[in-house]
Amino acid sequence: MSAKDQITVPTPPRRNPWRERLLDNWRVFHQNPLGRIGLILLVVFAVMAMVSVVPPLIDPMYHPMTGVDPEVMQSSAPSWRHWLGTDFMGRDILSQLLAGTRVAFMVGVSAAFMSIALGVSVGMVSGYLGGWTDIILMRLSEIIMVMPTLLVVLMLAALFGKLGIWTIVLMIAFFRWPGVARVIRAQTLSLKGRPFIDAARVAGASHTRIVFRHIMPNVLPLAFLYMTFRVTGAIIIEAALAFLGFGDPGTVSWGMMLQWVWKTGHMFQAPWWLLPPGLCISLLTLSFYMLGRAMDEVLDPRLRDQSR
Amino acid sequence: MMRAPVFRLATTLPLLTILLVLALMWPSAAPAADWDRDVLRVGVLEEPKSLNPWLAGDSWSSHVQALLYQPLYLREPAELKPAPWLAAEPPVFDPQALTYTVRLRPARWSDGSPLTAADVVFTAELIQALKVPRFASLFAALKQVEALDQQTVRFKLSRPDASFAARALGAPVLSQAQWRPVLEQCRLTQRPLASLLQYKLEDPLSNGPFVLAEWRKGVYLYLKRNPHFFGQGLTIAGRKLGPEISGVVFKVYGTSDAAVLALRKGTIDYYWNNVQPGYLRDLTRDPAVRLVQSQKSALYFLGFNLRRLPTGEAAFRRAVALLIDKQFVIKRVLQGAGEVMSSLLPAGNRFYHLNTVPDYDQPLTRRQRIDQAVEILAGAGFSWDQRPAWEGDHLRPGRGLRDPEGNPLRELSILTPPADYDPQRAMVGVMAQEWLGQVGIPAFARPMAFGAMLEQVKSRREFDMFVLGYGNLPLDPGWLGAFFLGANDRPRGWNMSGYHSPEFDSLANQAGRAMDPQERQPLVQEMQRILMKDTPFLPLYNPTLTEALREDRFSGWVEMVGGVGNLWTFCELTPRAGRARP
Amino acid sequence: MTRYVINRLVQIVVILFMILTILFVLFRLAPGDPVARMVDPNMTPEDAARLIAQLGLDLPIWRQYLTYLGNCLTGNFGHSFHYGLPVLEIIGQRLPNTILLFSTGVLLSAVAGIAWGKLAAWNKGKATDLWLTVASLITHTLFLPWLALLLIWVFGYKLDWFPINGMISDEVWLDPDSGVLLKAWDVAYHMILPLGTLFIMHFGAYLLVMRSSMLETLKEDYIITARAKGLTEKAIRNHHAAPNAWLPVVTSVGLSLAFSINGGALTETVFSWPGIGRELVFAVSQNDYPLAQASFLLVASVVLISNLVVDVLYAYLDPRIRY
Repeated sequence: MSAKDQITVPTPPRRNPWRERLLDNWRVFHQNPLGRIGLILLVVFAVMAMVSVVPPLIDPMYHPMTGVDPEVMQSSAPSWRHWLGTDFMGRDILSQLLAGTRVAFMVGVSAAFMSIALGVSVGMVSGYLGGWTDIILMRLSEIIMVMPTLLVVLMLAALFGKLGIWTIVLMIAFFRWPGVARVIRAQTLSLKGRPFIDAARVAGASHTRIVFRHIMPNVLPLAFLYMTFRVTGAIIIEAALAFLGFGDPGTVSWGMMLQWVWKTGHMFQAPWWLLPPGLCISLLTLSFYMLGRAMDEVLDPRLRDQSR
Repeated sequence: MMRAPVFRLATTLPLLTILLVLALMWPSAAPAADWDRDVLRVGVLEEPKSLNPWLAGDSWSSHVQALLYQPLYLREPAELKPAPWLAAEPPVFDPQALTYTVRLRPARWSDGSPLTAADVVFTAELIQALKVPRFASLFAALKQVEALDQQTVRFKLSRPDASFAARALGAPVLSQAQWRPVLEQCRLTQRPLASLLQYKLEDPLSNGPFVLAEWRKGVYLYLKRNPHFFGQGLTIAGRKLGPEISGVVFKVYGTSDAAVLALRKGTIDYYWNNVQPGYLRDLTRDPAVRLVQSQKSALYFLGFNLRRLPTGEAAFRRAVALLIDKQFVIKRVLQGAGEVMSSLLPAGNRFYHLNTVPDYDQPLTRRQRIDQAVEILAGAGFSWDQRPAWEGDHLRPGRGLRDPEGNPLRELSILTPPADYDPQRAMVGVMAQEWLGQVGIPAFARPMAFGAMLEQVKSRREFDMFVLGYGNLPLDPGWLGAFFLGANDRPRGWNMSGYHSPEFDSLANQAGRAMDPQERQPLVQEMQRILMKDTPFLPLYNPTLTEALREDRFSGWVEMVGGVGNLWTFCELTPRAGRARP
Repeated sequence: MTRYVINRLVQIVVILFMILTILFVLFRLAPGDPVARMVDPNMTPEDAARLIAQLGLDLPIWRQYLTYLGNCLTGNFGHSFHYGLPVLEIIGQRLPNTILLFSTGVLLSAVAGIAWGKLAAWNKGKATDLWLTVASLITHTLFLPWLALLLIWVFGYKLDWFPINGMISDEVWLDPDSGVLLKAWDVAYHMILPLGTLFIMHFGAYLLVMRSSMLETLKEDYIITARAKGLTEKAIRNHHAAPNAWLPVVTSVGLSLAFSINGGALTETVFSWPGIGRELVFAVSQNDYPLAQASFLLVASVVLISNLVVDVLYAYLDPRIRY
């Protein structure tokens, strides 16, 4: 360890800095009401996602995509058989809603994770190395940043016609990293000039080691914060894409459900079909958003302390 | 307390604005003036893309163009036979010289100038000279066209063409006075055809019942009655023509929700589009609204790529045909608004349609379909790592399907248009994917933009299956030959399947030359029989058109194949009695 | 300052050039037959090929690119495949509608958001603050198309108060007796629901930013000084705290513009508002390259330029910043 570290943290010898930070944050976070509500909502949705495998097991007619109620030929109102009613083909809306939860989580979390990973790496590299790398990467991020993600993804989806859900996730991830990268870069820049980095360098640490061991733990909380917001964005973009008719037709997502209700003209006739998917999209994004804001409040003072 | 005034200031700004806007809506509730008393108000989903007749052939443009540019012959609603329209009588055909002679009625353009044989000749010559894509193929067999006198035109063909009378003589006649200068101008440019297609037509000359009055882009298009319309007061095909209405407003709604709502409120008299099943419940309850069901001359089908395996294998295609439950598609996806198609030629085309039902279109249960398909596949040498099997009522889907050589099947694509373009076809693709998946056929629905899909199918020819539809097929069966002739199997050609059958080719060529319909009929039916056996295309359904209209302002709607929105309706509609003309 | 602006403008031009190139490459790489919709089922491959040649699509790709660049430089974005009209003409028709709806929406929500954010910060911890914060959190994360559908369902269908789509009604505009005022009223009336959608979606973001920025400002030394001087609360809030708290809001308006444009396009699509966003979505799904390219370029330049304007404005508002 560096000389500087030993002075500021005398005993015990520094533990894993990653875990320490996370635990620390969690304690503060837990006390925040926004964070608590967000977390509760999130747990509810997580349960929904897990439960989504159940309906098709009960009866094939509860399969979200192919299962149709043999006795229902049109959209029907909620009943005992179908708690949230059926769509125009006689498919169960509750099963679709549950399946949609799974898709939303998958899309949101994986797209956010990818864009954060990309953003953090670009930001750290750009900030740490500086020079031409920095200039090129930052110009690139500027170009991507001015593109309205939904419209770009829409255009790509329409152009290439390959609308698999993973392609959509990748595209969303690709167009959402610049914001993160810029913040992380700024953070890295401020860290770079600090004594403990210098000390590490003097002690002979490699660039890789400095970046991963000393810079990354310090920017990671910020990355997590951005991740929650990126989840929100990704879910909304996927839903909007599906709503406009450019989603993955093989998946039952909430946006897809809204598209079906809109395009088949059931909007005014079937509130049981119109309300749930939109409500779920809104609530799930809300829960991630609240989580993010709670984290923001937790992290904020710490970040400020560091930069002073 | 400081809070009160702050709160007032903070909230009043936006609130005030909203209130202001609310207040503004007041005057628009004032009773409408008299100007639109006898004007028919038609709701459309999209505006015409252009009134340039050479460019636009999409249905929204055709809706409007049909009221402006008139053909020589027009199909009448009862028998669907061509009735003389701009022509005075049926064409006179000379089988030796291969000529059609057409005599014109006295008619005028909307500026009052006479319509003569020279206009007809000019139109045909322009189409041929520039090869205008919309019409070129109709006139392909035309060798020469000449005006014998002011009222008489003679078309001379280079070869017998059974479709010529029905198709080319049904094309609109355009004004020489308007287009000759444009043509000259376009010829001076590097790309005459592109210049013609991109010509901005400000004030189209009409020879139809209406003429353009105002077009506010994206909002409405207003047509006034054409005072020089040749048909005014005439009786054609036993029908007395007006128009009795003083104009037509096409209102662009963008969404069906808005259009249907407008119809129920009485803001429009007719919604010129198929009404989605979801709206029917409300509409049937509304006493002021009448729903009209009409047949369409349409074909929706699943096409196979015969150039590659396994879709090139007839047995495989039969298995797919068995697995696809057309009844389900019609009952569920179309909500009953359609009929099963067994032959590629729509049943509405009674004269040429072949009325035979293949075994896979018999009512079968899901289980029977699966079992028979498995048998056919097994019989053709396909094998499974895990053969589909029934455990009670539960199907254990097949897995690891292998072709007769023992290689596992690769992923098969089912191309469909995207859901925003046609949700039903996209849904059919998804259902087909699931049904094929049950026996282990690894098929995947892939919706793509319409243009991309056509390129994939027609130019690149990289696909396994595709779901496509033609909503408005010509009644003349000439296209059936074009779709499957071996000679048309080339990039951008119309043989999308890559179907080759010498037997079919000779029949199709024969049928194409048969100038006598009686001679042509058995040939066309035999063609359908062969196609049913070989299934390069699996016909799926012919949707029924459901349209909604109000009868409180006008009467005299004419129903025919393709719906109420036809030229006859616009010429015959009369304002309800008691509604005095201003 | 001038040098900075010129510098930025040069950057913008470079970025636009790159976007132009990317767009070109994308559209040519994509599988899509632009003439597919123009042809009739009996058209022969020869006729199709001729049409493609006429549209200049058969040239080698680099020549197409050069022509394209040259045309773009001279402001010629080609003819729309779909409408057969010059792209600029179509954009010219649609753009004012978008500007009307979009800028009214952004302005209204910014004004309301700033006012309410000030209020919330001033009453931190009280009921007003709680309600405002919760309301903006919830509305900010609503799914826009769904909100639009809900508004249509409730106010257009159930209550039948407002027209649910379009921009004007022909009854008013075709009527020779309608005056300018009546026509303006008609537009405003049609604008209520889409405007409401944009407002509900956006005021929350401004409110939250304004609130936290105002809270920051209230901790600053000069506020404490002002208090010590015995100024009234109102004076402190409106003349000392608020003007400084404005700055982050200005930035956030600029930065969230790309995001707002997504929402604008969705709003236009759901309400059939004849604007540029709806046209872009439409052009994309129709493979109308020239129209899609030009509209997209327009959107990108709007974002770029407004970002620049925001930065300049920021410098102007905050005397501490000098470029």
